[in-house]
Amino acid sequence: MKKLEISEKARQQANSCRFCWMCRHVCPIGNATGQERNTARARALGVSVVDRGAEDLSVIVDNIYECTLCGACTNNCVTGWDPKIFIQEVKAEIALKGLLPEYVKTLVSNMQTTGNAYGLELDPAIGNILPVKKSDTLLVLGQDALYKSVDSVKGAVELMNKMHIDYTVDEDACNTGSALYFLLGKVGETVEAAKKAAEIFNEYKTVVIYDPVDLDLIKHEYKEWGIEVKTKVVAFHDFIKENLTALSLTKGEKAYSVQDNYAYARNLDDSETVRELVKTVGTNKEIFLNRKLANMAGSLLMDAYMHDVQVDVAKIRWQDAKNMDCHTLVTENPAEYEMLKLTQPEGYNVITLEMMLLENCK
Amino acid sequence: MLNEFLFTQILTELEDAVGVENCSVKEIDKLTHSVDYFWLSRMWADRGRQMPEADFVVSPKNAQEVSKVLKIANYYKLPVTTWGGGGGTQGGAIPVCGGIVLDTKRMNQIYEINTDGMYIECGAGAIYKHIEIAANEKGYATMHYPSSLTCSTVGGFLAHRGIGVVSTKYGKIDDMVLQMEIVLPNGDIIYTSPAPKHAAGPDLNQIFIGSEGTLGIITKAQIRIYEQPEVRRFRGFLFKDMSSAFKASKEILQKFKPSCMRLYDNAETASLIKKIVGVEKPGAFMNIAIEGVKELVDVEEKILLETFAKYGAEDLGSEYGEKWWQEKITFFYPGHMMDLPQCFGTMDTIAPFDKIEKIYWAMKNAIETKYPQARFIAHFSHWYEWGCMVYDRFIVDNPPEDPVEAMKLHNAIWNTGVRTAIANGGVVNDHHGVGIKLGRLMKEQYGPAMQVFEGLKDKLDPNHIMNPFKLGL
Ligand SMILES: Cc1cc2nc3c(=O)[nH]c(=O)nc-3n(C[C@H](O)[C@H](O)[C@H](O)COP(=O)(O)OP(=O)(O)OC[C@H]3O[C@@H](n4cnc5c(N)ncnc54)[C@H](O)[C@@H]3O)c2cc1C
Ligand code: SF4
Ligand code: SF4
Repeated sequence: MKKLEISEKARQQANSCRFCWMCRHVCPIGNATGQERNTARARALGVSVVDRGAEDLSVIVDNIYECTLCGACTNNCVTGWDPKIFIQEVKAEIALKGLLPEYVKTLVSNMQTTGNAYGLELDPAIGNILPVKKSDTLLVLGQDALYKSVDSVKGAVELMNKMHIDYTVDEDACNTGSALYFLLGKVGETVEAAKKAAEIFNEYKTVVIYDPVDLDLIKHEYKEWGIEVKTKVVAFHDFIKENLTALSLTKGEKAYSVQDNYAYARNLDDSETVRELVKTVGTNKEIFLNRKLANMAGSLLMDAYMHDVQVDVAKIRWQDAKNMDCHTLVTENPAEYEMLKLTQPEGYNVITLEMMLLENCK
Repeated sequence: MLNEFLFTQILTELEDAVGVENCSVKEIDKLTHSVDYFWLSRMWADRGRQMPEADFVVSPKNAQEVSKVLKIANYYKLPVTTWGGGGGTQGGAIPVCGGIVLDTKRMNQIYEINTDGMYIECGAGAIYKHIEIAANEKGYATMHYPSSLTCSTVGGFLAHRGIGVVSTKYGKIDDMVLQMEIVLPNGDIIYTSPAPKHAAGPDLNQIFIGSEGTLGIITKAQIRIYEQPEVRRFRGFLFKDMSSAFKASKEILQKFKPSCMRLYDNAETASLIKKIVGVEKPGAFMNIAIEGVKELVDVEEKILLETFAKYGAEDLGSEYGEKWWQEKITFFYPGHMMDLPQCFGTMDTIAPFDKIEKIYWAMKNAIETKYPQARFIAHFSHWYEWGCMVYDRFIVDNPPEDPVEAMKLHNAIWNTGVRTAIANGGVVNDHHGVGIKLGRLMKEQYGPAMQVFEGLKDKLDPNHIMNPFKLGL
């Protein structure tokens, strides 16, 4: 008698995956904590043992929330198992069985009361620079940028203005469902949030997605959940590429190193656009683990409940940068930007893609 | 079983030693440290049974914290089982008597990459792949490439005397270490000699390498690094039979050392090699890699081709060999090879050339005759001028459903296999160690020589707290 109400696919993956540690070395959390439980194999073992009735679901709850869903394990696994599948399904089960830990409940209740997981108001520094007047183009900054990364928003806005784009930012559209999906898996509330965002998207001709984590959800899960986005959805870096001529850029000698975000590199198979943009203004200096192999540099949602670990995750990435003399990291993800900024060593710098372009505008 | 009062008292002392956040009594931590890569532990959990769990899981950061933990454990006479990556196949890291599991992975510091002395100094809990990456970033390599490179630790490989695929040229882990820092069971922190090749008495390194956490805990090591080879070339060969492959290989090894040599028996060639590498013809497949400075490799390649041709080897070119190199880890992923519910085990042993083939046939016959339900396949990797190891495996497709019966069958097959190896001049194990799996056979191997190990154990660990029931100690 199986105890978990998860799909057969998830069950099979948990049962097979638990006998191998081949992806241990790539898990950003395991590398930061050194804890055995922070491996894909340990999570699979936990799920499997609970499914067999040998342990209660409550035993594995925290460990499930210690996964960033970065997919480094999935990318590394030659058998094609994807631990994210059973992790996400178990999250939904945890939510449905009322076993959510307090720290997740807080974030979920923030979503309900304030519309964002952090429970924050818009920073006044950006509140009045956001164009809210309706246009044809919607810029979806995402909740991490909007509520937690003033620098990211400022940079994106300045770049859009420099490109002379008439565009709109709609706070509600920034809740794409990605935060709820991370917190609760695929439950009714998550799909509802995604549907609402899609409805707003459909009012525009073009929707530009700033945060690759949101783009990943829209490109993959929306489809699977039967949510139709009729309008044109483009990644922020593709949109910049299309409008690059509007910026008068100069090319210099400065070396930039791309901090690949997992969603672009692994889930959306898009590691080159950012590099093309780097090469228009400077030289591309690769950090050792790059593209699909990239080490994740931090999650803001997880920072809300495991700050010290997220700091260590970012520090480990800085160590990679130091080992390779990569002095300027370029990120496209506001969470990684903020965590890297927070932990930036002397003589090293992290900037967003927009900042890189802006510092090379005539 | 500790009473609640004493349990709490010890917990506070351990928390004081390593920090509250690095001492856990949570079920998730106990569970994940109860099942390692040992078939019996995996089977036990798979059948819904609970493996023995530790009472406390501690993760010290350095030798000083390890020392504090061992002093506490000695005072309360609590067992201490060291856990690196849990990738061991012999149940060595399972806390069979409860007590403390000491996880080494927070001791993962890379202290120094010394390119003058050609070593990396690192914490023993570093994942081997991480020190390989650190070496690669500076243009060097560790040349220790076991299939578990990404999951096992420096200390774990030292504790089990592990080996990687390019061992024939670069050596086994015991050839790759300079100095080690070790915490003795009483909490004393000691250092082995600053260089390994000396005449200052027996080599302390070699006393602790292979001791499986029964004599002390390795906390730091200086691991050798090598220049990346200018070229690494592969060549696949097909021998009619293994005898001619052995003769050819012995001859080659008197002339030079390839980095990787791997010979598959006819059964494994017809199954795994066919499936993963694509060799269709019958025979015994052998893959050779030669590497280093290009001019030398050119000469070695010429000698290799001439020598193997003399023994009737068909030259398959480089394609199969390269494919094998790319896929070498694929062999170990779940679903790609043996997996539960099958019952299986690797009975690696080592012997000089005059005995190794005889051992192979004796083990094959003994297992297949006594256990007709078992298949037997083998390959020979890790070669020396004087002999090589056989990596022979048994596989039972439908073991008993009842876990107790499955354990009985598993242990009986192991007894047969290892006793046959010993009777024919082999050793209990080549590179996976002993653990709880083979402890009972150590005395059969060593006879009265076992008292040397027992004497060390009694002197260094008089309370016998260190990894009880492992290594036959
Ligand atoms: C998929 C796979 C492939 C494998 N391929 C190979 C291979 O090619 N070559 C090879 O040699 N092995 C191989 N192994 C076996 C395994 O990787 C080795 O036995 C390795 O030495 C175990 O290291 P670990 O860190 O995982 O140790 P663990 O399993 O955690 O522990 C092993 C033993 O060492 C002790 N120990 C661990 N750390 C220390 C320390 N710091 N001080 C003292 N004692 C310690 C433990 O108490 C235990 O007795 C493979 C395993 C797997 C899972
Ligand atoms: S995801 Fe793949 S590599 Fe990682 S533990 Fe599972 S089976 Fe092994
Ligand atoms: S998805 Fe990322 S954080 Fe989660 S187990 Fe895999 S590697 Fe670790």
